[in-house]
Amino acid sequence: MEDSKKSIGKGIDRIDGILKITGKATYATDYPAKNMAYAVLFKSTIAAGQIKSINSTEAERYPGILKIITHENAPKLNTKGGLRGGALLQGPEITFHGQHIGIVVAETFEQATAAAHLIKIEYNQKEEKIDFEKLAQTPIMPKGKELADLVRGAGKLAMETAEVKVEELYETPIEHHHPMEPHSTMAVWEGDKLILYNGSQIINGAQTAAAATLNMKPEQVRIISPFIGGGFGSKGGQWANLVLTAVAAKMVGRPVKLALTRQQMFNSVGMRQRNMQKLSIGATKEGKLIALAHETISHTAVDDEYIEPCGDCTKIMYEVPNSLISYRVVPMNLILPTYTRGPGKSTGSFALESAMDELAYKLNMDPIELRIKNEPSKDPSNGKPWSSRTTVKCLKEGAKAFGWEKRKSKPGTNKIGDDLVGYGVACGTYPARQRDSSAIIKLSLRNKLVYATVEIAASDLGTGTNTILAQTAADGLGLPIAQINVKLGDSELPPAAGSVGSVGASSFANAVNDACIKITDELLAKSGKQFFVRPTAAQLMVSESITDFQTRSDSKAPAEAEKYSAHSFNANFAEVRINSITGMIKVTRFLAVTGAGKILNPKTARSQIIGGNVWGIGMALTEESIIDPRYGNFATRSFADYHVPTNLDIGRLDAMFINEKDLIPNKMGVKGIGEVGIVGVAAAVANAVFNATGKRVRSLPITPDKLL
Amino acid sequence: MKQNKTRLTPEEHRLFGDLMPEELDEVINSGFNRRHFIKLMGLASAGLLASYAIGAEQLFARTVEIEEIPDLIPEAIENGVDIAFNVNATSRKVLVDSRMTLLDTLRERIGLTGSKKGCDHGQCGACTVIVDGQRVLSCLTLAATCQGKSVITIEGLAKANELNPMQAAFLKHDGFQCGFCTPGQICSAVALMKEAKEGQASFATKDVRAAAKSIMLSDEEIAERMSGNICRCGAYPNIIAAIKEAQTGENIPQNWLFTD
Amino acid sequence: MKPFKFISATNPGEAIDMLSNNAEAAFLGGGTNILDLMKEHVALPNEIIDIGNLKLQEIKATATGFSLGALAKNTETANHSLIRSNLPMLSKAILAGASAQIRNMATNGGNLLQRTRCSYFYDISMPCNKRMPGSGCSALEGFNRMHAIFGWTENCVAVYPSDMAVALSALNATVKVQNNNAERYIPFKDFHLLPGNHPEKDNSLTHSELVTAIEIPKNNFAANSAYVKVRDRSSYAFALVSVAAGLNLKGNVIQFANIAMGGVAHKPWRALKAEQFLKGKPATTANFLKAAEAEMVAAKALSHNKFKIEMGRKTLVNALELALKG
Repeated sequence: MEDSKKSIGKGIDRIDGILKITGKATYATDYPAKNMAYAVLFKSTIAAGQIKSINSTEAERYPGILKIITHENAPKLNTKGGLRGGALLQGPEITFHGQHIGIVVAETFEQATAAAHLIKIEYNQKEEKIDFEKLAQTPIMPKGKELADLVRGAGKLAMETAEVKVEELYETPIEHHHPMEPHSTMAVWEGDKLILYNGSQIINGAQTAAAATLNMKPEQVRIISPFIGGGFGSKGGQWANLVLTAVAAKMVGRPVKLALTRQQMFNSVGMRQRNMQKLSIGATKEGKLIALAHETISHTAVDDEYIEPCGDCTKIMYEVPNSLISYRVVPMNLILPTYTRGPGKSTGSFALESAMDELAYKLNMDPIELRIKNEPSKDPSNGKPWSSRTTVKCLKEGAKAFGWEKRKSKPGTNKIGDDLVGYGVACGTYPARQRDSSAIIKLSLRNKLVYATVEIAASDLGTGTNTILAQTAADGLGLPIAQINVKLGDSELPPAAGSVGSVGASSFANAVNDACIKITDELLAKSGKQFFVRPTAAQLMVSESITDFQTRSDSKAPAEAEKYSAHSFNANFAEVRINSITGMIKVTRFLAVTGAGKILNPKTARSQIIGGNVWGIGMALTEESIIDPRYGNFATRSFADYHVPTNLDIGRLDAMFINEKDLIPNKMGVKGIGEVGIVGVAAAVANAVFNATGKRVRSLPITPDKLL
Repeated sequence: MKQNKTRLTPEEHRLFGDLMPEELDEVINSGFNRRHFIKLMGLASAGLLASYAIGAEQLFARTVEIEEIPDLIPEAIENGVDIAFNVNATSRKVLVDSRMTLLDTLRERIGLTGSKKGCDHGQCGACTVIVDGQRVLSCLTLAATCQGKSVITIEGLAKANELNPMQAAFLKHDGFQCGFCTPGQICSAVALMKEAKEGQASFATKDVRAAAKSIMLSDEEIAERMSGNICRCGAYPNIIAAIKEAQTGENIPQNWLFTD
Repeated sequence: MKPFKFISATNPGEAIDMLSNNAEAAFLGGGTNILDLMKEHVALPNEIIDIGNLKLQEIKATATGFSLGALAKNTETANHSLIRSNLPMLSKAILAGASAQIRNMATNGGNLLQRTRCSYFYDISMPCNKRMPGSGCSALEGFNRMHAIFGWTENCVAVYPSDMAVALSALNATVKVQNNNAERYIPFKDFHLLPGNHPEKDNSLTHSELVTAIEIPKNNFAANSAYVKVRDRSSYAFALVSVAAGLNLKGNVIQFANIAMGGVAHKPWRALKAEQFLKGKPATTANFLKAAEAEMVAAKALSHNKFKIEMGRKTLVNALELALKG
């Protein structure tokens, strides 16, 4: 096909956009159901111990109450079914503040909420483990094999031979995902079949986890999730609320809606854990790295382990003969942390890329030059060749576009009125992977026009999946995009990977692309004809007068991909302006240059990148969840205390993509952009703050008080 | 209920005729209602009836006719308050629990689920609707206080089947990702146009002492005035571009860059 | 929310009667704070008296200054031509608060009656003397970064959150109040209270009183005033520290200055020491600095808010500089 006729690569509007701008997109609690009942959760007010007694007499008498469910009457569930975070009402044990301890189901939301306040709970309290600063003195080895110490060469010992050293502690706080749609479920039982309307980043994952937990077969559970009001990792794995809604619906024999409150979002669906990262870099006077150590201490739940891998970027970013990556962990009475946008890489890169900036400053070297000087020719962690590596190109192209030459190398010297201005740069990376996914394509010929329906249990949480799959099918079948219908977000469709870890676009688009190739092959075979130029599936439907035809493809990553190290890379450039009196900071300009393979739709891709940048700016400047160690609760418990960036916090954001063709990781050359967009952002901002003020802030977020 | 016949465009007619022939008469006679919409979505999922793109776009711009508001059983309402008000240019009467917010009344009673509950405490803006011409938070408004008032929600912004220019600008500029905050953002932006016309000041206004007159909003002014609408996906620059385009009527360029 | 009876009042007298009849009743104005508190089960009225239809919306010039109807919306007040041209500091302060949507709903009277945003006050599982007298103050030894540096006691370290009231304090406003029998006028400095031993009481209103108007005396600050707010994000956040400042100048000499601070105490903190220092002195940075230092001497930090002393000092100077610039 001629390029100009191709749909892939064009910045077309989202095909599901019309539903979102008219209020017609249906999220989990937007479905009507006859005889709906409303459920609310009530939660523990201690962090550790046991429930001694629950008195719900008064609540039960409250008007409109249908059922109160606690561990005393909840059905037996499989706690190893694959849901995250426990809290399934299976016993009196309390392991964190805010653990679900019961459900009130009522005729209305107002009644359920009011009655929940009438329930009296007595506890036998135990001493909780919650004071991270204290507990971090005596951390333990994590269980995960991938978290074992990774030593190359002489490891950290080589620091002793370095001429120039940076050894600093970088701290990042607990952050919460806070998708705008709080986790919500509507459960409808039809006989022994269960329908769960629930925003799910991994449709099949939600299905199997719900089924296993409820001791059902996967085919008895259907997940419907055409629209997801944001997820950012918190709707990747599913949490107790999904299944508790089903339990409530079963027990009252009616459809039930259960939406977490914003306050409950702090202790129901994971978080990004707090990390203390010790970063040590040793280099020669010329700026060649000799030693690099990245030692992280973080926390996990008392009964389960999740650790975001902060050392991941450090493993592969720079050429260095001696290195150490290590993890230590503190089990705490807190809900299990979980994947959060750019897990490990966003926080880890804050430490690594801040330290690189500190080293450049000590060496009196441009930070871009320092990075280029230590560019590795192959993946230092495993010796594999890069499928492609775009770091240097990102840095060079970005420097040009951003006007890096205007940066004053001496901090605190760029002043406009009361404002200090600074520039910062930082790099990032995220693995490019393809995961197993299947797709069905159905073609039909009506009134001489060919229509296609693409079916795949993929998800679109605002990433643009609907649109890129329509574009992929349009090109793969030889049809205009207006003749493609995409069906996703339903577990009855062919199974697919999730929108997690930046595998979505590559897994889904390759599955659809493979299905297009396959259906064309099959139509060709069916025609029994030979063609000089391979016809499109659409042309074959017409020429052979086939009214209906369909096929399914089950796609996997190419075997060859294993032999290479495949990643997206970026370079981030930040300009900050800081009021020298009040300390208030604004990121006035930000440029992210990203090498992520084929960009299927630059409009939605740009949105993904700038969205990641906004997340990174939030991480750098405003977001922090704080625990009161005396009680184990969050002292920040609403959007008034937990500051997500507002419109005014964000200045001009530009996204630039490297025009690259890397077909090693997958046939379509798609590398994924959802995660990499946040990686390196916080460091770029923090480095710009240093350039503006001469103050190095190593503990996020950089609030005005830290710059006084 | 409005008994006016719905004048379907040829594209909309073809869409119903092909996909839901058994509902066509009802749509013409009593309007496009929520049940029709859900059925349509069931047929097409989010992939949006692409083969009927024009018809679907026109149809989705239409206000969904509200079916009769079902009464709740008596014990489901405590301290009932009867309210009569106007929602998206249609009179509504509903008996609500005194505790029920406007947001929950719209969503759970009237079936207008476009307005979203992001925080329920006035801290995110996802529930923004326009009451008597002003943007307000429906989560902090008791339905009982809406007697005699006029409410416009995201579902009521389009005229017949033509999108409000602000909606069109949000689509073009990709002023959203997940779409959950979008109804609130768009309602907020539509009301903002009126505020700018009236010359209202904001904290970003350089000198509030200057007399009020119609203003073209700078990026900073738009950002400050839209800061009551949180977008966790981070579509802020796109939202500013969309609002600029809607306000100026000019074509605001979209920027994405590629290296050679 | 706890169930409540919903009734509407048609005039102030009726509203006051309704309230007097029920110790557990509460007025509903714009609703932006009380509904929030009711949803959190912090406020538990069994009767809500809707006063939204009372005719208390007028904003006007009076013989002695200006009168703001208690039920005029914040947006309307900030944008009223009288306020914009004569009391720009007040416009700015109102516009610094909350969001456009909230300002469209919130009333002037309600703004004064806002309760603290201390997260321990909001979290009903936590001890809090303001919410439950005698239960203790969780913030005193807890996470108190947002809390007071002036006038706090061991019973309560909360701060009062309004921006508007900080300007009103600097403007020497008076709160006009109606009760069963009569009207009374409460000077702004006496309207909000310091926590003392009774942090449950935010202000000097009694249960059966209704704020009907806020009166502001004439002043000459329009040419030289400022409202500066420092916060953790650029917009839609409560103040870490804010300062309202107005200068009355003769040439370069300060006849008198009116200064109030927000985010630092249980009430708008009138910076009397700074005002006193500046009286009759030339308007110079050096004098501003000394005035700020004089004010901050009495500040006493908690474990997480030491920065507020330095931030308060700098912001005070900044506000005076900006006021001088005009």
